[in-house]
Amino acid sequence: MTSSSDKRASGNPAKQAQIDLTVKQQREQKRQEKLAEYQKQVAKRKRGKLVWWVVGSTAALVVIGLVVASFAFAPAPPTSYQAGNSTGREIDGVQTFENRSDHVQGTVTYEQTPPAGGPHNPIWLNCGVYTEPQQNENAVHSMEHGAVWITYDPERVDAAGIDALKAVMPSSYALLSPYPGMDTPVAVSAWNHQLKVDDPSDPRISEFFTEFWRSQNAPEPNAACSGGVNGPGRA
Amino acid sequence: MTDDTPVARPAVRWAVVSLVVVAIVAVAFAIGRFTAFGATAAPAHPSDTSADAGFARDMQVHHTQAVLMAMEIYRKTSDDELRSLSYDIATAQSGQRGEMYGWLVEWGLPQSSSQPLMTWMEKSGEHSHGDTATLTEQQLLDEMGMATDAQLDELRSAEGQPADCLFLQLMIRHHEGAIPMAQAVIELGSDPRVKEVAGAIVTGQSAELDAMRDIQSRLGCSA
Repeated sequence: MTSSSDKRASGNPAKQAQIDLTVKQQREQKRQEKLAEYQKQVAKRKRGKLVWWVVGSTAALVVIGLVVASFAFAPAPPTSYQAGNSTGREIDGVQTFENRSDHVQGTVTYEQTPPAGGPHNPIWLNCGVYTEPQQNENAVHSMEHGAVWITYDPERVDAAGIDALKAVMPSSYALLSPYPGMDTPVAVSAWNHQLKVDDPSDPRISEFFTEFWRSQNAPEPNAACSGGVNGPGRA
Repeated sequence: MTDDTPVARPAVRWAVVSLVVVAIVAVAFAIGRFTAFGATAAPAHPSDTSADAGFARDMQVHHTQAVLMAMEIYRKTSDDELRSLSYDIATAQSGQRGEMYGWLVEWGLPQSSSQPLMTWMEKSGEHSHGDTATLTEQQLLDEMGMATDAQLDELRSAEGQPADCLFLQLMIRHHEGAIPMAQAVIELGSDPRVKEVAGAIVTGQSAELDAMRDIQSRLGCSA
């Protein structure tokens, strides 16, 4: 508590007291100022830390968000559908086989009844509706070209049933003919694929066409289903 | 004011530096993934009910019959110009049909259509066939300029000049049906190659129409 340079002296004790008090006050004030300054600095440092936390966590959230978005918005990989699942759907009851596709003369004993592929006659059966049974060997050649062959048991499918089958047939690359002695009333056959159903209006028949008609997995898709031989009873 | 810096202590500083490095790597990784979106994305293929898919299917039906008729007359005509023309039609349309088949394979779509013929043309003002659901398949085939089974049988049994003339009559009508279909897909389609092929069909078949009408008059066909 040394006297400061600005400390004045007064002959008047009251005045002197006031001066003394003022000096005290001034010191106190300085201390207060220092304290305030210190507190300000502490607060500033606190604010600085807070800013760093806010900036840091926001940046972290943005980065995490970017990484998440790069996965969440990633486009689906290209699909590679094949005939048989071109709609990504499997048809209940479709059987699949592995058959040879060579040309032969004469009668062939087929592994499936009606046949769904195998050795066949050099001449294909012209596509269309037939009212009489057809030669397996010619019809199989048509299936090799991508045709779908609908066969029905004439004893178990009536005229209304035949009309229902005709209704699902496209105007080309489709065969319809009676086939006595099958184990189901209706069979729908494409090369190496077959669906056997009891009801001619079964919705799976049209699904079968969606999946297998003119399939790219037939041995010779795009070869003709006309310009071959007309079978008996062509409607 | 060194004590103001929040990263004064080395441990804290290293933690911050490594966090920043991790963040930069993460951002670079995300950017890398974003830029790869275009490369890994499935190309936007025409949908099952698009004009492009409808054209690819219906024009295959159309071309199939043109090939059949052209092969029939190629086999038996004695007119050199008609033989060349029919060879041209059969081979050109087989090629085009194969390309259309390939489009559907590539687009992952069935060759078989879930809609009646020419339904995809309904949106076209000029080439719409109206509500295709109200027409039978035979009526739709007629509107496409397709020959009937009876006409094809007639073509098969005819010989000589009558066969040539019948072929020309049927094929002219057939081409006249194809051109509006090609024009419709140019209007409604989205795939550039589909439109290019459709344009080639319009040009090529228009020229063939002129050629066929010339042969018609040279052979003295009544039609």
